Amino acid sequence: MKNNSFKLILIAVVALVSVWSIWPTYRDQALTKKLASFHSSEDSLKYALDHRSEIEQAKEKSLKLGLDLRGGMHLVMEVDLFDLIEQKAWNKDANFYRIMANVRKTAVNSGDNVVELLAAEFKKENIRLSRYFYDIRNTDQEIIDKLNKESQDALVRAKEIIRNRIDQYGVAEPVIQTQGSRRIIIELSGVTDEARVRRLLKGTAKLEFRLVKEPELLLRAIERINLAQPPSTVQNAPADSAVAAAPVAGQATPAVKTSAPRKLSDVIGVMQNGLVFTPDYAHDYVASMLSREELRMLLPQDTELLLAAKPLKTEKGEKYYPIYLVQKTPELTGGVITEAKATFGADNAQPEVLMSMNEEGTSKWARITGANIGKQIAIVLDGSVYSAPVVQSRIPSGNSVINGISGLDEAKDLEIILKAGALPAPVRILEERTVGPSLGSDYIRAGLQSLLWGFTAVAVFMIFYYHKAGIAADLALVLNILIVISVLAGFSAALTLPGIAGIVLTMGMAVDANVLIYERVREELNEGKALRLAIDAGYNRAFSSILDSHVTTLAAAFLLYVYGIGPIQGFAVTLMIGTGASLFTAIVVTRVIFDLMLGGKFMTDKSFG
Amino acid sequence: MRVFQKTNFNFIKHRRIAYIISCVLLVSGMVSLFTKGLNYGIDFKGGSEVVIRFDKPVDVGAVRAIISSAGVNGSVKQYGMDRSVLLRTDYHGETTNLKALITNSLTSRLQGNPAQILSIQAVGPSIAADMKMSAIKALAASLIGILLYVSIRFEFKFAAAGVIAIFHDVLTVLGLFSLLGGLFDFMPLEVDQSIIAAFLTIAGYSITDTVVVYDRIRERIRGQKPSDYERIFNESMNQTLSRTIITSGTVMISVIILFIFAGPAIRGFAFAMCAGILIGTYSSIFVAAPLVFDWQQRSNAPIKLRGGV
Repeated sequence: MKNNSFKLILIAVVALVSVWSIWPTYRDQALTKKLASFHSSEDSLKYALDHRSEIEQAKEKSLKLGLDLRGGMHLVMEVDLFDLIEQKAWNKDANFYRIMANVRKTAVNSGDNVVELLAAEFKKENIRLSRYFYDIRNTDQEIIDKLNKESQDALVRAKEIIRNRIDQYGVAEPVIQTQGSRRIIIELSGVTDEARVRRLLKGTAKLEFRLVKEPELLLRAIERINLAQPPSTVQNAPADSAVAAAPVAGQATPAVKTSAPRKLSDVIGVMQNGLVFTPDYAHDYVASMLSREELRMLLPQDTELLLAAKPLKTEKGEKYYPIYLVQKTPELTGGVITEAKATFGADNAQPEVLMSMNEEGTSKWARITGANIGKQIAIVLDGSVYSAPVVQSRIPSGNSVINGISGLDEAKDLEIILKAGALPAPVRILEERTVGPSLGSDYIRAGLQSLLWGFTAVAVFMIFYYHKAGIAADLALVLNILIVISVLAGFSAALTLPGIAGIVLTMGMAVDANVLIYERVREELNEGKALRLAIDAGYNRAFSSILDSHVTTLAAAFLLYVYGIGPIQGFAVTLMIGTGASLFTAIVVTRVIFDLMLGGKFMTDKSFG
Repeated sequence: MRVFQKTNFNFIKHRRIAYIISCVLLVSGMVSLFTKGLNYGIDFKGGSEVVIRFDKPVDVGAVRAIISSAGVNGSVKQYGMDRSVLLRTDYHGETTNLKALITNSLTSRLQGNPAQILSIQAVGPSIAADMKMSAIKALAASLIGILLYVSIRFEFKFAAAGVIAIFHDVLTVLGLFSLLGGLFDFMPLEVDQSIIAAFLTIAGYSITDTVVVYDRIRERIRGQKPSDYERIFNESMNQTLSRTIITSGTVMISVIILFIFAGPAIRGFAFAMCAGILIGTYSSIFVAAPLVFDWQQRSNAPIKLRGGV
């Protein structure tokens, strides 16, 4: 009987720990209900303040709900390492761009390391990496190592910057993790304005101050562009041949093979004051045309055509976007910005963002403004011109302003982005799942119903088929479920809808172990063994089958956890915990119950049905 | 209460019938797979899925027309029982734009029946490709793991037969998905990550059933002559019949509960599990053990088993 008291204590401990683990969840629910029941907000506020530590503790240890039950966003973002690598290269020529294009294509289909793919492609062409990267004396392997290190750094930096931005935006318990060599996984619960979050996360925040070229240069460039287009467009060309017609970089002739429905000259106009613009409806088309290689070659050395970030309105209310010819090399970049503040402008009408710079930036800014009085300096953020004010005087204070912002929200977002810093490379959103809170509560309801009915059905069946022994199995099942929930709460793992499905499945599988034992016991009883011996034999003989079944299910669940993404991992987790717990409850707990019942002479041969 | 206790079916003698049934199931499933194909969810195909709920009951056809006139190409289906529709499209733009397009077109054309977007899921092509790879890797790894495990516990013949049984189960369920996919609105039967989860669980579960039979065979076969194998196999299979059916029964109960109560998101998974358990139980009795028997007959080597009680 010494064995038994040990087992009893073990079971009691497990049960108590489980209940203690689940207690905060119950408390959290009760407190939330209490707070909601107050009629006035002062009463509830007072209650919240009085019991603040209790509320916080309950919330902290309470069972975490997954995104699909709570509502929120799940994003997978990818750092565009190609952009990073291209930035690091020098002496870029047409060959370089061609090779990079090839590497981009292969990278889409393979998840391989981008740097390795790049090296392989260069090797195919028999060109040494040092021709474009770093020092001419570096070997290929050295360069590969350096680029790899840069990529890793970039990924870590991007993750930190994104975390910074999200922290400033204010989301409770965000989950931000890197995955592989270029992906970041972000989970934000309770986010309602997903459009804003998306903007916040995607903006590279590359801030640049660029000189605007004189208007005559701009007009001449526009003329040259208009001339370079063929006088008549190809008739009836389908829309997607415009994509196919994107010429290979490196072609000598600047003839733009455009089968697009309009000519560029049709959509670029010049106003009386010399401002070049394009109307709102042509904005995307013009943006894509301006980035074409042959167009760039028509422009003067080291210049670029950029569109404004926000449209202006005519008196008639038509929207249009100004176009600027700016110097390609920036005078100053966002790295010198130390502080940014969103505020309302002097006339209190338009929001703006004030920025201040560090020492190096301040002195450079003073020099640049001093040397360009009367000229325009464009403030460019992520390739779009926010404003291009005329320099009135030398600015020695290192202060500058971004105007041309449409709303205070946007100003605040800019402030967040500028303060957190510029992303080292652009990030793309690869996957996005947003669940609204009402769907979440639907799921919770469905999940709870499944749990309730599942338990009832299985429990009733066991009693019906196995009588008293079935009761023991049901008690073990209750403990099983308690253990699963408490482990989830204890490890702060999130419960998802597939997770609840996993618990329901575990209920069916947990009683399997009992079924195996009981069938065996029935067999032994049929062969005439005494009750106690039959039970012993049942447990012993059935043990290997039980072990097999649990090991294989655990292994399958583990594989699913490793290879799965998102809520399905929740299923794997609950299945694993449930299977492990059922090993314990089926073998140890029911055995103890039987021993107790045998000792108290509650069982007869008929107890196994 | 007892079921299946004193049965005496001659499984081995009639194993050809079982083989034929299995072949028919498999072939029809494969034919459907190759012609009709599978209904892939966005997890594997990429694209966007939007769940829209209306305040009042709405005609799915009308919604379909409105959405496609807004320039969004895709399929619109009934989703669940409560005035919700599921829009599936391979729209490649920003999700914000998609959302705006949908809300604008619906509010302007369906006034008086406000619509609410409950959830949006957008999966890019590289993630979809990744998930496909992960699914295949997971399934392959589990099959290899099972092969090794059962080989160690019993013998290679047994392990191979068990794995063939699992292949048979998974392929049959896939065939069912292909045959019935898209037929019922309340059960769209899309193949997404949860179906892969079902397959893995079925694999783990099917081998358990099979191992129960193997266990009994191993117990009875110690030191017996090969000429007795048929009788021993039959006896073992009969003796474990009750056990196999009841354990599958309890899991079926929980899966059916899921099918009924857990909502459209889980229904495909529940169906896969249902079918998988039924077919898995069938294959444990009628496919795995008879295969071992046949193999042994061909190779004429006596069965040497490791481990066990």
